[in-house]
Amino acid sequence: MHIVIANGDSDAAYIIDMFNTKENRLTVINGSEAVAQTLMERKHIAVTIGDPWHNAILEAARVYDADIFISLCKKDTDNFASCLMAKRNFHIKKCICAVSNPSNVDLYKKLGIDVVISSTYLLAKSIKNESNAESLIKSLSLDNEKIVMIEATLLPKYWICDQAIKDMGFPKNASIAYVVRDYNFIIPNGDLVLRPRDTIVVACAKENEVEILRFLKKQKPTVEVKEEAPAVEEPAKEEKKPSKKKKK
Amino acid sequence: MANKNKTIVIGVGRLGSGIANRAAAKGQDVIVVDPNPKAFYGLDDTFSGFKVNADSTDMFALEEHCDIKTAGQVVIVTGDDNVNLFLAYVCSLVYAVPRIFVRFDDPDKGALVEGLQNVKAIYPFDLTLVKFNEIEQAERK
Repeated sequence: MHIVIANGDSDAAYIIDMFNTKENRLTVINGSEAVAQTLMERKHIAVTIGDPWHNAILEAARVYDADIFISLCKKDTDNFASCLMAKRNFHIKKCICAVSNPSNVDLYKKLGIDVVISSTYLLAKSIKNESNAESLIKSLSLDNEKIVMIEATLLPKYWICDQAIKDMGFPKNASIAYVVRDYNFIIPNGDLVLRPRDTIVVACAKENEVEILRFLKKQKPTVEVKEEAPAVEEPAKEEKKPSKKKKK
Repeated sequence: MANKNKTIVIGVGRLGSGIANRAAAKGQDVIVVDPNPKAFYGLDDTFSGFKVNADSTDMFALEEHCDIKTAGQVVIVTGDDNVNLFLAYVCSLVYAVPRIFVRFDDPDKGALVEGLQNVKAIYPFDLTLVKFNEIEQAERK
């Protein structure tokens, strides 16, 4: 895989360490001469010096048809310009744009950037997922948040417990990928009866996540034991006599 | 609903203040945006528009202070090509502004706004080159 790492400092160094393997070809571009020098000395890798949002620099670095372009500039707009240049002029398959302002994540995606990453945004998402349903239900977004994997540990009170999958009316737009029962993985079929303390992993589209969560958390109807109230004789209502209107 | 008479000028350097002064003198509703309050010193004393002291890449400022959704035209002339590129995309794809003018010092950026609706790019470099050629040819004759 051909990976381009544009700008960045310690984050760029970390990514170089992570992907500098025989299977990958790394191209490193950095606008800071000092950072470029450090990367060359410490990581023993060639670095093209220059700003990654310039056509000439990307051309010099030979990034044509790379698989992944990661832009780690300090300014969000610089990352936007670099990713756009890489995508439009150099046909890079996937551009990853780091942003410092978390509200830019959705905006940049709307403007055509493949993957937008913000550490604050990820932290907030993670907190939200962890706090979901007393940590018994967790979700993980995949493929740029188009697909969601929901992991749920079943409580006895959940309606889907003690039911065969085929009988529970599981939503059609989701599928149970696997079930963990007593540390064993089960690939489920329709006959599998879910039990309390099973952990199920459900894959669904992002737009159906709320519906699926609602389905999973649906509780069994509580059986109320009503004490029979003493029969009280109601006074017999007087039957209304139909008014007799004499028609003339 | 876009107001044809409303112009937002983002970036109030020499060019931005010149465009804003001219538009205001012609009776247009003008809003100028710049993060540096000293930039507004370049505006005429008679400038009748609104001055918004804010970061133009902040969507809140564009929406709440400029009401960009109602703009008839936006002129993007900050000193940073990447900011200009980003704003051209936002004005076109998010707010569907009917007329967008954007200045790029780097002519290579022009290819990136090709296909964007309502965006016209201006390149001072190219304009200077054309003018230079004209003057040179005229002098030779």
